[in-house]
Amino acid sequence: MREIEQSWVGGSRPRFDTAGRVRGMIAHVGDQAVGAAAHVAVHRATQPHARIEAVHVDEALAMPGVYGVVTGADLYKQLGDRLLTGPAFADQPALAHEKVRYVGEPVAAVLAADLATARAATDAIWVDYEDLPPVYDLADALAGTAYVHDELRPSSVFGDLKHLRGVRDTNVNYTYNLRTGDAEAARDAGAHTVTGEFWAPPTHHVPIELPCTIAWVDSGRLEMLTTTQTPSYVRQTIADLLDLPLSRVRVTTRPLGGSFGAKMYDRLEPLAAALAWTAGRRVRVTATREEAFLLTTRHGAAVSSSLTADAEGNLVSSVADVRYDTGAYADVGPRITAKSGMVAPGPYRIANARVLSRCVYTNKPSAGPFRGFGVPQVTWSHESLIDELAHELGEDPYAFRRRHLLREGDEAPMGTRMHSADFVGCLDAVANAIGWFDPLDRGTGRIRRGRGVAVGVKAVLTPTIANAVLQLNQDNSATLLISTVDMGQGSDTIMAQIAADVLRMDSRRIHVVRADTDATPYDTITAGSRSTYHTGNAVRRVAEAMRDKLIGLAAERFGVPAEEVSLTPDGPRAGSHEVTVAELVHGHFGARGATLTTEANYTSSWTPYDKETGRSDKVTEHWFAGAVGARIAVDTATGRVRIEHLAVAGDVGRAINPTLVEQQLSGAAIMGIGHALFDQLVLDQGQLINGTLLDYQLPSIRDLPDQLTPIVVESPHDDGPFGAKGVGETGILGVAPAIANAVRDAVGVRLTRLPLTPESITMALEENQ
Amino acid sequence: MTDEPAPESSAHTRRTVLKSTAAAAAGTVVASHHTSVASAETAHTGGARTRVTLSVNGERHRIAIEPRVTLLDALRDRLGLTGTKKGCDRGECGACTVLADGERIKSCLTLAVMRQGAEITTVEGLTRGDDLHPVQEAFIRHDAFQCGACTPGQIMSAVACIDEGHAGSEAEIREWMSGNLCRCAAYQNIVAAVADAAEEGRR
Repeated sequence: MREIEQSWVGGSRPRFDTAGRVRGMIAHVGDQAVGAAAHVAVHRATQPHARIEAVHVDEALAMPGVYGVVTGADLYKQLGDRLLTGPAFADQPALAHEKVRYVGEPVAAVLAADLATARAATDAIWVDYEDLPPVYDLADALAGTAYVHDELRPSSVFGDLKHLRGVRDTNVNYTYNLRTGDAEAARDAGAHTVTGEFWAPPTHHVPIELPCTIAWVDSGRLEMLTTTQTPSYVRQTIADLLDLPLSRVRVTTRPLGGSFGAKMYDRLEPLAAALAWTAGRRVRVTATREEAFLLTTRHGAAVSSSLTADAEGNLVSSVADVRYDTGAYADVGPRITAKSGMVAPGPYRIANARVLSRCVYTNKPSAGPFRGFGVPQVTWSHESLIDELAHELGEDPYAFRRRHLLREGDEAPMGTRMHSADFVGCLDAVANAIGWFDPLDRGTGRIRRGRGVAVGVKAVLTPTIANAVLQLNQDNSATLLISTVDMGQGSDTIMAQIAADVLRMDSRRIHVVRADTDATPYDTITAGSRSTYHTGNAVRRVAEAMRDKLIGLAAERFGVPAEEVSLTPDGPRAGSHEVTVAELVHGHFGARGATLTTEANYTSSWTPYDKETGRSDKVTEHWFAGAVGARIAVDTATGRVRIEHLAVAGDVGRAINPTLVEQQLSGAAIMGIGHALFDQLVLDQGQLINGTLLDYQLPSIRDLPDQLTPIVVESPHDDGPFGAKGVGETGILGVAPAIANAVRDAVGVRLTRLPLTPESITMALEENQ
Repeated sequence: MTDEPAPESSAHTRRTVLKSTAAAAAGTVVASHHTSVASAETAHTGGARTRVTLSVNGERHRIAIEPRVTLLDALRDRLGLTGTKKGCDRGECGACTVLADGERIKSCLTLAVMRQGAEITTVEGLTRGDDLHPVQEAFIRHDAFQCGACTPGQIMSAVACIDEGHAGSEAEIREWMSGNLCRCAAYQNIVAAVADAAEEGRR
C-alpha cells in the first residue's frame, strides 16, 4: 500500500503530533502563560445541606495579595437567576446562593496575586450555617420529606422538560417509563424468573490533566481558554449567564489531557466567566486533585430488576426499577435517565418490558456524564440477570445469550430497530478469544478459575448537530475547522483521514484547528462517542464539496464535462489532461497561498419517545454494540480476582484508524476493570472520604490483565462516514458483569454490588458455605 | 545561565503587593518564556525568598523562590518547562517524574532548594537536537499513549527503569513502572514500548 493510502480511511497512520506527545510539547490549558491574572481559589461548604446565614470574608480580604472575595450573594445581585445554569435543569449556581447542597460546594471565591495566597485566604473565610435535614442517599431522597431543591427548574435547552417547571416537594427531577406489552403479567405467568437488587457506586473520571479555565474581558467580550469537551455548549451557557449575544463570547480549548466526561457542560467556566466579567480582570481558575473529585462524578445507580423465561426458554419479561443518584445538581442526569434507562432490558428479543427510570437529587457532589452515560450501570443489571437465568435453566450462558440477542432489523424493547449492531459477532469474537469452547483448568485448591461473558448496547445521543469548514490551501494542504476536542481519542487524526480519503491527499497535510468559537463552527458536544459518526459525516461532506469544487475548476480548465474528471493523489485527471491541485488553484486565483473554502452540516434526527410508553421508532441515530469475555482466577482465601484474559469487542461499523480503535477498546476495558474491582467514591454523611489518588483506587499498570485482546468488529452503518461509528464507550459497557459472571462460574457466588472487592467475595463465599 | 534579581523581602502591604505583581507581570513580558504558567502556582507574596541554583537539562538557572516551592513548580512556573505535568501534586500519579542525577524522582515531592547541585533532566532534555531518545521513539512506535498527559512522566520513569536494569521482563516492567498512572490506560502499549526500548539498548 502506498504511504499516502495509509493516511486514509482504514490506515493505521500515527496519531497527530506524536513527537509533541513524547517531548512534552503538547501545551495543555494549565501550561499556558497567563501574564498578570487574578488566581482563584474557592472556599467550600462544610455541610451537606444548610442555609447560608452569613459568609465572613474580612480576614481573607485583609490578607496581603488578596484582590477580592466574591460570594454567591454578590454574584446573584449582579446576575439574578441567570446565576443558575445546567444542561437539563438551570439549578446550579457558580457559587452557592442561599443554600449549600453538598459538602465541598463552592461558597466564596478568593481572587489573589497568586494561587498559594488565594488558597491560604480561603481558610480565613468562615460561614454561619443553619443546618437542614440532609438527603444522604437514594433511600432518603425517595422516602423522606427533605428536598434538595425547593422546586424544579428545567433549563430552556430542552423543550420536553417544560412540564416540570415549578414542581415542588420532590427529589425526583425526571422519570422515564418504558411499557412494552404487559411485563408484570408476563413475569407472573412465566416459568422461570430471576431477580436482583443491583448497585453500581458513584465513581470519578480522574483524567490526569487537572481542569483549568482562564477568562478575560477583551473589547467588551468575554473570552476564555478552558479545558472543555463542549465549547459550543459553554459559549451558550456563558452568553446566557452574562446576558450577552453569542458574538460577544469566545470559548477556546487546547487538546485535553484526558476527560472521559469530566470536562463538559458547567464545570469551572461559569465561575470564571462571572468573576472575570464582574471584576473586570483576567482570572485563572483551577482545581487541586482533591477538588477535582468534587466537580463531577459518575451516577451511583440502584437497579431492582427481574428477567423471566417461559417453559421453552424464551425471554418473555424484563422489569427494571432504575434510580440514578444525580447528587445535588441534575447536570445531564435526566438525559441519562431516559437514554440509559430505556436499554435496561438489554440487547435481547423480549416480548414484554417495563422500565421505571428515575433521576434523583441527593446532598452529594453532582453526577454527570461519564464514559457510558449511565449504560454500564444498567448493563450490570441485565448481564447479571441473563447469566443467572441461563444457570437456572442449565444452559450455557454464551449460547443462551446468543439465542436471544437482537439481530439486524430486529426491534428492541423500546421500539427502535437494529442496524449495524453486530452483537452476535462481538459475542462470538470474545468467546473464541478467551477459549470459551476449550476445556478449562478450574483448579482444585485455593485458586479457582472461571469464565464469563457480557454484551452491551448503547444508543448514540440523538438528535445532534455537527458542522465543518474546510479551507484548501493553494499548496494542496488543508485546514479543517471543527469544534471537536481531541482529548486522546484521536479525533484530529481520524477527521483528517476522512477528509484526505475523499480528497485523495495526504492526511498529514491537513491541520485540524482547535475549537475556537470565533472560528470553528457549532458542534453539539465531543462526547457520547458521537464524533466519528456525526462530525465525521460533516467532514466527509465538506471534503466532498471541496472535491466537487476542484473537479469543477479542472473541468473548466480542461474544457471537458465535470463527469469526465477524476481526482487522483497527483491531481485532477481527464483523459490526457492533467494538472496538480497547486497549479489548479494558483491558476484560478492567480496567486500563491490562496484558499478555497467549503462548509457542511450533518444533523441527526429522531422520533421523540412517547410520554406514556417510552417507545419510539427511531430513538437513536445508531447503536453501539459490544461484548466482553473474561477468564479469571479467584483466590478463595483472600477474595482477590486475577484476570488472566480479557477480550473486548466493539462493532465500530468501519475502523477509520484500526490502531486508535484498539486503543479505545483497550483503554475502556481497563477503566472497566477498575469499575468492576475497586473504583468507588466513598461518602460518609455526605463527606467524600477517599478523594485522593492514594485512597481512590484506579487501575495501574499492574492491573493490566495477563492478556488483553481488543477486537474490532465491522458491520458498516449505511449512513456512517465510510460506514463508521464511534467507539469511545463501547469497550466499557460489559466489563463489570463479564468479570462478575466469571466469578460466578469460578466459585458459585452471585455478587450484585460493585465493586467486587476481596472483602465482598470472601464474605459471599462464607455465606455460601 | 539565567538570573533574576532577588526580591525585596517579606512583609508586603496589599498596595505594595499590587505594585510588585505589576512589576512581575512586566518582567513576564521581558523574560518571555521564563515566567510562564507563571505567576500561577508559586507565591509572590508573603514569605522571604532565597536564591536557588538549579541545573536543568545541562543549563544552570539561578532563581529567587520561597524555600517551600517544589521542584515541580520551579520547573513549570519559573523555568517554563511545562513538559513536566502536575496531575496531583502529592506524589500519587507520577506525571511529574524527572531524573535527578539519573534517578527518577517525583518532582512534586521534593523542594527546589533541596536539589541544588543535582543534575535535573526533564522530558524536554531527553532529545539531542532533533533526535528523539530511544524511549521516546519506542513510545511512538507502540502508540504508548492517548491523551499524552502522563506521557512525559511515563517516559522519564521508563528511561530510569531501563537504566536500573528493571526492564528484563514484562512482569518486571509492570512492577517497576507501577508508580505512573495512565487513565487512558495505554498500559499494554507502554509495557511493549519499554520492553522494546530496553531490548534495543541491549543490542
